[in-house]
Amino acid sequence: MNKLFAVIKREYVQRVRTRFFVIATILGPILMAAFTVVPGMLMMVRTGGPTRIAVVDQTDNTYAALASELEGRAGAPVKSATPFVPTEPAVGPGASQEQMKQAGRMTRNNLSLQQVTIAGRPLADVKKELEARIQARDIDGYVVLPPNLLKGESPEYRARNNADLFTKETIQSAIGKVVRNQRLEAAGIRQEDIERASASVELRSVTETGQESQGEFGFVLSFGMGMWIYMSVLLYGQLVLGAVIEEKETRIAEILFSSMRSFPLMMGKLIGVSLVALTQMSIWALTFMGLSVWAAAAAGSFRLPHIAPIIFVYVLAFFLMGYFIYSTVYAVVGSMVTTTQEGGQLAMPIVLLLVAGFFLSFNIIRNPNSPVAFWASMFPFFAPITMLVRIVTETPPLWQILLSLVIGFATATGLIWLASRIYRVGMLMYGKKASIPEVIRWVRQA
Amino acid sequence: MDGSKPTLILDHVNKSFGDFKAVSDLSLQVRPGHVFGLIGPNGAGKTTTIRMIVNITVPDSGRIELLGQSMTTAMQDRIGYLPEERGLYKRMKVGEQLRFFAELKNLTGAEADTRIDRWLTKLQLQDWKDKRTKDLSKGMQQKVQFITSVIHEPDLLILDEPFSGLDPVNVDLMKETILELKGSNKTIILSTHQMEIAEKLCDDVCMIHRSRKVFDGRLRDIRRSFSLNAVAVRFEGLDRFPDDPEVANVREVGEEFEVLLNPGANPQGLLKRLVDANVVINKFELVEPSLHDIFVQKVREAA
Repeated sequence: MNKLFAVIKREYVQRVRTRFFVIATILGPILMAAFTVVPGMLMMVRTGGPTRIAVVDQTDNTYAALASELEGRAGAPVKSATPFVPTEPAVGPGASQEQMKQAGRMTRNNLSLQQVTIAGRPLADVKKELEARIQARDIDGYVVLPPNLLKGESPEYRARNNADLFTKETIQSAIGKVVRNQRLEAAGIRQEDIERASASVELRSVTETGQESQGEFGFVLSFGMGMWIYMSVLLYGQLVLGAVIEEKETRIAEILFSSMRSFPLMMGKLIGVSLVALTQMSIWALTFMGLSVWAAAAAGSFRLPHIAPIIFVYVLAFFLMGYFIYSTVYAVVGSMVTTTQEGGQLAMPIVLLLVAGFFLSFNIIRNPNSPVAFWASMFPFFAPITMLVRIVTETPPLWQILLSLVIGFATATGLIWLASRIYRVGMLMYGKKASIPEVIRWVRQA
Repeated sequence: MDGSKPTLILDHVNKSFGDFKAVSDLSLQVRPGHVFGLIGPNGAGKTTTIRMIVNITVPDSGRIELLGQSMTTAMQDRIGYLPEERGLYKRMKVGEQLRFFAELKNLTGAEADTRIDRWLTKLQLQDWKDKRTKDLSKGMQQKVQFITSVIHEPDLLILDEPFSGLDPVNVDLMKETILELKGSNKTIILSTHQMEIAEKLCDDVCMIHRSRKVFDGRLRDIRRSFSLNAVAVRFEGLDRFPDDPEVANVREVGEEFEVLLNPGANPQGLLKRLVDANVVINKFELVEPSLHDIFVQKVREAA
């Protein structure tokens, strides 16, 4: 027991004191924020100017409504007496104040519309002209609103970048709305009646006690849990791997084994590294909580979703279980290989089981008490995610939760035992990677 | 044996790795308070034997007994082990490193700190206590490693090639330390290729070759039994060595002749004939073979 403690202490103290730990603790949240917020922002922020769309309105009265829908502009269509003269705002050093304002309004959806009048020419000619303007990068696309638009004839959309689904989606729904309104108006329904009738209904889900349900929370939780375990296993699994390989390759293991059995040694390393992980996460969690309380106080309102306290206990228990199961995989792998790169590759397929568990949770959210859900939440590599999803959606009987935890931690212990046997024999073989049959023989003979 | 019970007994010990026989039917006894030399060429099975003694691996068959008890995890604390391939945590400070290895042998608290300081001073490493291990020279790291093997004052100390990588000053320091430990009634097993050092330090030796024991016993007895029947002679009055029916070979080394007699010949007969030949004899000495010669001869015989 003293020896186990000595290993835990060494593993913990040596790692927490490193510069790497300090830097990772500070940079971690920044990177995490960068990874979650920045892609979102990149999706929102378009590079370059607004997408310029020319509209050929053969119905004669749809453009204004469409422009107001898409650009938030009220009022008449842009006057364009002469065909093919763009009415897009000229924003430049010489642009007037008025033009600047107009540009701001027109780019609300990152779309700028311009009407193209046919002026009695054949449609094919107009299209050819517009095509030329697309090639000349004068516009980015055009829409043709056919004369029988209200009777169900489909508008045509041509864009240089057909992959820009956002723009297509935006235009389609705007035309749809405009057409619907026009049809209703044609049927004699007043504008304000249309608006009142279109008010959306929100379905509020409640639990049996009438409280706000946590159904969506289940989804968020399974996703968050999956990410959390995945990130920490990737981060700290590498540490476990490195620690195991270091001792094997520097032959420290020989002295260690002459002083203690390999099982408490492995156990000690794993616990030591886990404590490092928990320390780091506690620092992050406390900082985050402190910041959110401060932010909430500053904003003047603070409301937590209603979550039973026991949920937090389960979350912590299943996180630890998941973390232990997957980091012992790294310990097993570390006992077989000679470099961390090799180890990372070998462990990857198993860590991907976590992703499988995550996908299973989609099914489980819908049927939390199905046999699939039951078995998936008993299988230790899935349970950290799947059982939590069940707990949040439709809490299973306590015995199932406990059984899942017991299976999980037993699996982790079994894996540590396996790792310690492979390690002990593998240490005696000099700097060579073990094949699977060899490893099986080692386990038998150790 | 001198009456007291042996510190360590190996009784018909066998160990194989797959088809490879690492140790075959090895039996030996190590006397308390003595230095026991385990010698043999590379790959003979020395390291495997040592690993079985320190309980890293278990024999396939046979018995290992330390201090009258069979080997267990608890008994590991009674052994100190300096492996041939050194291993220290590179980034740990010397003092912390020693403290950790002491704790692994169940030595904790102020006692551990006192002993660490004492040993660091003794091996002239006191200024390096707070330095990282990787900043030490190879020889200094070796001395640190040596301290890890003795810090818990084990009854049995196993040193595998303790002198490799040390400069002559440190070799002497290490020899002195080993003899001191022997003086304080510790039992020491010394595994080495350096026969001159083994010859000076060991009381008993055991030679292993190709997994089997070739010979073992007191060094003195072994050398006597391996007498190659050779004499070193120096005399005045003759320029060359006289022809003699009993002499198989003569080699002139400086002013001396190294004379190898026929098997079964009596050196006294040669002495008598030399005296009768009226030469003035300055030296007539029976030569005992060095451990080195025995080692080489045995390995050649086996080849």
